[in-house]
Amino acid sequence: MTALLEVEGLRVRLPTPRGFATVVDGIDYHVEPAQVFGVAGESGSGKTMSMLALLGLLPPGAVVEGRAAFGGKDLLRLRGRELRAVSGRDIGMVFQDPMTSLHPMLTIGQQLTEHMRRHLGLGRRAAGDRAVELLDQVRIPGPRSALHAYPHQFSGGMRQRIAIAIALACGPRLLIADEPTTALDVTVQAGILRLLDRLRREHDLSVVLITHDLAVMSSIADRISIFYAGRVVESGRRDELLRRPRHPYTRALLDALPHPEAARDTPLVAIKGAPPSPQQIPPGCRYHPRCPYAIEVCTMDDPPLVPTDGRRLACHVDPFADGE
Amino acid sequence: MASDNVPLNGEGPALELRDVEVVYERRGRERVRAVAGASLTVERGQIVGLVGESGCGKSSLARASVGLVPAAGGSVLFESREVTPLTRRARPRELARLQMVFQNPYSSLNPRRRIGSQLADALDVLDLAAPRERRARVEELLDLVGLPASAAARYPHQFSGGQRQRIAVARALAADPSVLVLDEPLASLDASAQAQVANLLVDLSRRLSLSLLLISHDLAIVRHVADVVSVMYLGVMVETGPARSLWSLPLHPYTEALIGAVPHPDGSGFLPEALPGEVPDPAHPPAACRFHPRCPYAFDRCSKETPVTLAIESERTVACWLQAGGSPPARPGERPQPLPLLHAEE
Repeated sequence: MTALLEVEGLRVRLPTPRGFATVVDGIDYHVEPAQVFGVAGESGSGKTMSMLALLGLLPPGAVVEGRAAFGGKDLLRLRGRELRAVSGRDIGMVFQDPMTSLHPMLTIGQQLTEHMRRHLGLGRRAAGDRAVELLDQVRIPGPRSALHAYPHQFSGGMRQRIAIAIALACGPRLLIADEPTTALDVTVQAGILRLLDRLRREHDLSVVLITHDLAVMSSIADRISIFYAGRVVESGRRDELLRRPRHPYTRALLDALPHPEAARDTPLVAIKGAPPSPQQIPPGCRYHPRCPYAIEVCTMDDPPLVPTDGRRLACHVDPFADGE
Repeated sequence: MASDNVPLNGEGPALELRDVEVVYERRGRERVRAVAGASLTVERGQIVGLVGESGCGKSSLARASVGLVPAAGGSVLFESREVTPLTRRARPRELARLQMVFQNPYSSLNPRRRIGSQLADALDVLDLAAPRERRARVEELLDLVGLPASAAARYPHQFSGGQRQRIAVARALAADPSVLVLDEPLASLDASAQAQVANLLVDLSRRLSLSLLLISHDLAIVRHVADVVSVMYLGVMVETGPARSLWSLPLHPYTEALIGAVPHPDGSGFLPEALPGEVPDPAHPPAACRFHPRCPYAFDRCSKETPVTLAIESERTVACWLQAGGSPPARPGERPQPLPLLHAEE
């Protein structure tokens, strides 16, 4: 299967008062059609920056290297109008907080039809009809009257569904969803996850799902990459990665989660310390200062990401190679 | 000074809310009964979790329990003493041992002052440390929440979200509280930081015999932390019970729906169940059982009579007509029909 998006050697450097900070440091991944690709990791691991780089949405002064092949073009080489033609139409983006991505003073209808008219060249009536169809697709009750309402008139879960409808307006092939359910109740989160799953199955939509929550990942991602301090430490199929995690960091992320079937007295296992800041990346394996399995080589050599047992893994020790 | 009719410390539960009502009224707007008669007891040294969706009134109840909003009805007792609403005057000194921690430490901490001075303020306001002891006490507070003494010289922005939440807890601990009310202390933290703060809360509660009322929308984490869990829906308590038995056998359909919506991190691809509809507008709650329009098991009686709170087994209560006949709860396998996805009614 040919990949819809193929990213190679992505590197993002951001200007800071003390020189450049490398926040994404050489990342490769691909997204296949009608698949959900999960990007997981703690805050500050470079998850969001690696996606913003594709859409040209990085802060001014940022330096991007690498290649991102999408529909025969390299997204990282496109500028201005060319980039907007691709990213506005073929790539949709949903952010964590719908209240910041929706305009508070424009009606839902205005926000939904604006880029359909621009990118698809639809007339007012045709755009309006499609807007109703989209709201219906994301299960907003009374879609026709919803067009005339403002964002504050909806609950958090409905706003996020509206933000998804807007992202889908021009019929994108790829949807990038950055922590789309983090601010929502579990009951509403379940609805959004089911919606994304349906869009993938019925409309062949590919989704890049960015989240720190491996439980969310487990319900809809097909493949997952675990980010740590701007690098991928492990990537592979959902079931492989979550049932038999091989990188100590993947394992630690899972152990920190409350598991629905665990006994109540099982304490949650927190990872000691905090991720390094981009200015203070440790030598060797970036995870070694927090890793209980680190040995001497980990403090000196940066482990490469290599195919290991049906996945890619960057670990010198590989302590769970035998299944435990 | 305690008056004659007030029992001494050491009697009664740590915190007791009886039929509390919280009403918001604004000129030209409808009256909203955010909490419509809710009861809850936190025994001494106990961790009680209060869960429910956004808009269910759990934050209003938390605020009423420390006197930040007045209770329009019912009573709030802290160690058998009435909790009076905050006014412009200094609050009674005894109530200082009832403290609150808010969801977002970035907005509850002053961004322009060092952590050490903010903790010292909390000590000074109650004259809890002589100037000579202040520094040592600040270090002790930081140590209690697992931060180094050097943290005192830094500013809030120099910490991660989880660390800031621990600082907020340290500030609440400065008043030497016996009860902490925490409003969503774990939301907006990522998994590892969440685990750190959750473990810290359990540890503090056990070490300092501190009673906690932990408000959260995340039943999965509350189950790991709390001894007892209360489930709130649209201003009323629908179920209360020990965390373990409530999770393994929910008696109220709403509790069951909350548990069914929790995703499992097991790599199985299990898609959680979406509870249809949304929490209704508290200004216009549904008649009788407030959950009946969203309940997959609702029958005639549910839309006609308000369910009474029934005591089940020794420590559980539930307000559901399904339980009234003593029949066992319907289990997921016996659902009359599968839950429809994102039901199209608001």
